Amino acid sequence: MTTGALITVDDAALAHNVATLRSLVGDTALMVVVKAGAYGHGAVGSALAFERAGVDRLGVADLDEAVALRRAGVTVPLLAWLHAPGETFERAVEHDVTPAVSDLAQLEAAAAAGCPTVHLCVDTGLHRNGAVEPEWAALFARAAQLSDRTVVEGLMSHLANTSEAEDAAQAASFERATEAARAAGLDPRLRHLSASAAVLDRPALRYDMVRVGLAAYGLSPVAGRSSAELGLRPALTLTAPVTTVKRVRAGEGVSYGYVFRPEADTTVVIVPLGYADGLDRAASDRAAVTIAGRRHRVRGRIAMNALVVDVGDAPVSVGDEVVLLGDPAAGHVGAEEWAEAQGGITYEVVTCLSHRIERTHA
Amino acid sequence: MSPARPLRLATVDLEAYRANLTSLVTRMAPVEVLAIVKADAYAHGLETMVPEAVAAGVRWFGTVELEPALRLRRAGIGDEASMLAWQLAADEDWAAAVEHRVDLGVSTLEQLEAFAAAARASGDGVALVQLDVDTGLRREGCLPEDFPALVERTVELRDEGVVRLRGIFSHVSETSPADDLDALERFRELLDVAEGLGARPELRHLSSSSAGMEHPERRFDLVRMGSNGYGIPVTEGVTAADRGLRPILTLSGSVVRTKRVPVGGGVSYDHTWRAERETTVALVPLGYADGVSRRAQHGVEVTIHGRRHPVVGRVAMDQFLVDVGDEPVEVGDEVLLFGPGDRGELTIGEWADRTGTIPEEVACRIGPRVPRRYTGARA
Repeated sequence: MTTGALITVDDAALAHNVATLRSLVGDTALMVVVKAGAYGHGAVGSALAFERAGVDRLGVADLDEAVALRRAGVTVPLLAWLHAPGETFERAVEHDVTPAVSDLAQLEAAAAAGCPTVHLCVDTGLHRNGAVEPEWAALFARAAQLSDRTVVEGLMSHLANTSEAEDAAQAASFERATEAARAAGLDPRLRHLSASAAVLDRPALRYDMVRVGLAAYGLSPVAGRSSAELGLRPALTLTAPVTTVKRVRAGEGVSYGYVFRPEADTTVVIVPLGYADGLDRAASDRAAVTIAGRRHRVRGRIAMNALVVDVGDAPVSVGDEVVLLGDPAAGHVGAEEWAEAQGGITYEVVTCLSHRIERTHA
Repeated sequence: MSPARPLRLATVDLEAYRANLTSLVTRMAPVEVLAIVKADAYAHGLETMVPEAVAAGVRWFGTVELEPALRLRRAGIGDEASMLAWQLAADEDWAAAVEHRVDLGVSTLEQLEAFAAAARASGDGVALVQLDVDTGLRREGCLPEDFPALVERTVELRDEGVVRLRGIFSHVSETSPADDLDALERFRELLDVAEGLGARPELRHLSSSSAGMEHPERRFDLVRMGSNGYGIPVTEGVTAADRGLRPILTLSGSVVRTKRVPVGGGVSYDHTWRAERETTVALVPLGYADGVSRRAQHGVEVTIHGRRHPVVGRVAMDQFLVDVGDEPVEVGDEVLLFGPGDRGELTIGEWADRTGTIPEEVACRIGPRVPRRYTGARA
C-alpha cells in the first residue's frame, strides 16, 4: 500500500540461521516461532521457508495464526499456546494443530474435541501462562486419565531471562514438574524450556526441544553480541524510494514542529514511510538510513506516512532506493540501531513493521 | 466453533464517526471538509469508513497516496466524492489517476508533465491537478522559487484541455503561531502569484484539523480533517469533549489467566516488577505486536469491571500482565485498554500521553491479529 515500500526477506538467510542453530543444538529438536507475522517477516512466507530449511516444528501464539498457516499449505507440526477463554479446540483438530494447555479447563476441552496430542504448559516463574506448581498434581493426574485419547506429548515452560540464578531456579522448577508428570504416569517426550537467548547462553537448559524466535530471523538475542558474532544473518531488509528531494537553507525548519533546523545549507529527502508503517515515532530525529551505501540521519518528526532524511550534499535523486533497515554486515542500519534510537528492543522493531507493507521472499 | 470470548478486539463506533463528521461539516460550512483517510483510515478500515463519511456529508477524501484512492474507485466506494493524493512516486500510475478521476497534488514539473501526458494519451481524459506548494514545511510541495514555472505550465496544459486546475494547497508546520502566520502570509502571496499568471484554482486549502477549528481566516475553501473525525483532537490540552467530538475506537481484550503472586514474586521478562504484597495478576493477550507499546508498563492502567488496574512487568510480544489486587477478576472478563471513556477506561488520548506518543500512532499501530468490529447502524 505504501508508495514503493518493500520488505525483502532473504530465505537463504533464514536457512543459514536454521543451520547455525542446528549445529549448535545437535540432536535437540528445533522449533522455530513464527507468531506475530513471523516477527514481522511475513507469517506464511517465513513458515514455508523454515519448513524447507528442515525445522522440526513451528510455534505460534494462537490458533488463528496456526489455522492461517495450515490454509497456506504449511505441513510441519504446529504448536499454539495462547487460547481464548472458552476455546473449544475443534479448529485444532481439524487443522492438525497441537495445543499447549495451561489449565484443567483447556485440557478437558482439548480432550473433548479429540486432540490426539497436547503439551502441558507450566509456570516456573514468569507468572504469565502456565499452571503454577500447586495446580500441577491435579492437572497431571487428569491428563493421565485422559491419555487413552489425548496423549501428553510435551511439557513446556518459558524463562524470564532475569539472571543466571533465576534461570537455574526456573530450571529446577521445571525438573520438579517433569518428576511430578512422570509420577502421575505421563511421559512427555518433548520437554522444552529455552527460547533464543537460553539456546545460545544456557546449553544445559535445552532439554528435548528448543523454541527459537529472534535468532532464527538472524537477530541477536544476547546483549553485546552481534548477529555476525553468533553466526546469524539478519534476513529482513526494508526499502523505499525517495519521493522528494529538497534543498534547505541554514536555519529553516523542516517537517511538523520544525524539530530539525539545519545549521548549514543542506539537502533533505522525503521517504514515504512513517509510524503507520511501524516506524516508531520515538526514533524521530535519531534513527539513520542508508542511500547508495552512505549513512544519513532521519531528521525531524517521523510522520504518519513520511520521514525526512538529511543527506547533506550527497547526490540523491527522486526514485533512489533508501535502505531503512537491513543487515549491518552489509553496511545497512540494523534492528539494534533502530531499537536504540527508539528506546526499545529489536523484537519490536521488526515485529511492528506494518502488515500493509508488501513482503517478498527472495 | 469459535471461542466464546475474543482474545482481542478493536471496536469502531460508526455512529460516533458520522456524528463527528456531521458536526465538523456543519461547523465548517460553507467551507468544504476533506476527510483524511490515509493509513487505512487511521487503521479503522478504509472501505468501511468512507461510505459512512459520505453519509455524513463529506464530499472530499484525502488518501495521501494514490493506491488507496484507486482501490476505492475500483470498488465503487465513495464514487460520488472527490479523492486527493499528494505523496507520489516517480513511477506513479498516472493513467489510472486520469481514468479514475483522482486529484493529484502535484509538486514538480516532472509530475505535472507525466500526469498531463497520461490525460493526453487517454483521449478524452483530464488530469485533475492540485498544485502543492511549500510554505515552510519542506516536505512535498513546490518551493516558492519554482512555483511560477509550475503555474505557467499548468495554465498552458489547462488551455490545451488536458489539465483541470482543481486547487492550490499547502501544509503548515504547526510549530508556533508566528511560523504558522508566516506560512499563511506566504500562501496568500503565492495565490496572488498564481492568479497573476492566469491560474484560477477552484479550491484553495491550507489548514488541517486544528487550524481549521481555531482559525476561520485560514480555512479558505476547504479544510482537511484528519484526527478530529476519529474523535482525537490533536491540539494539546484539548479533549474530544471540549470539541464536541467522541472517540470512536475502543481496544479491548479478555483475561486469559489469573494468578496469585506471593510477596516478592517477579512477573514477566527480567522481573522488572515484583509484588510488594500478595496479589493477583491477570494475563491479557495483547502485546506490542498488537499495538500495546512496551512503554505501557510505566503508568498505564486498564479497566476491568469499571475499575482501573495498572499494567505491571514487561509488555511482551503477545501479552501483558495487570495487577488486580484482591479484586474478583476471572478468566473471560473484558479488559478495556482505551475507549470513549464512559466505562471508566482511559481515552486514546490519555493512553497516548502515558505511552509518550500521540493518539494517531496508537490507532495506527493496532496490529493485524486484532479483529475490527463495527458498532452503530451503518449509513
